[in-house]
Amino acid sequence: MAVESQYVTADVIEAMEFPDLSRRYAVRGVPKIVINETTEFVGALPETQYLDHVRKAVEGNGKQETESNKE
Amino acid sequence: MALISDRDRETISTRFTESLTGDVQIIMFTEHESPIIIPGKEPCETCAQTQELLEEVASLSDKLTLTVHDIAAAKDEAKALGIDRVPSFVFKGASRGQVRFFGIPSGYEFSALIADLVDVSNGTTDLSEETRKYLSELTEDVNIKVFTTPT
Repeated sequence: MAVESQYVTADVIEAMEFPDLSRRYAVRGVPKIVINETTEFVGALPETQYLDHVRKAVEGNGKQETESNKE
Repeated sequence: MALISDRDRETISTRFTESLTGDVQIIMFTEHESPIIIPGKEPCETCAQTQELLEEVASLSDKLTLTVHDIAAAKDEAKALGIDRVPSFVFKGASRGQVRFFGIPSGYEFSALIADLVDVSNGTTDLSEETRKYLSELTEDVNIKVFTTPT
């Protein structure tokens, strides 16, 4: 996605090497994806669902979802 | 001993020959071993190996070059790229946005690294038309963090 848009930054993070980041983002399973600090999901998703998460994060609806995921 | 097996080396080299169209510079940030032990500061355990791995990858195509910076000596470059830890690296090529890797790219991350190099070289992806259209119309920043493990 970062290849396609100048606005996208993609970070690939090795979770075991950076326990501080894993703790901060509550990584319990991988791959864990966090978009704009608000929307998150675990596991490989089909592209359309992945895009839905990006849309949600951009539209600012991600916060709620993150909270409900944590329950 | 090489980190990439002869067989993988051959596979990757063929893939690069077939798919790389533009030059890609791999910019790596590392931390050189210090003779001084600083309390509370962990030495970088995977920096040397990450550099070795990237050197091996870069040697598989003449379209790839590797530049290595010590993060302490290249603070401005690191800051400009949003790099605050090591080992880490970014690709400079035909990508519109930025792809950053933090930590040694082994296991699943290694395949991601090879696939990303191809995409950054070509400036294109195999994403669907819908996704690409959405991305081309973005007007605000999106940061995607992907956490992985070596296995």
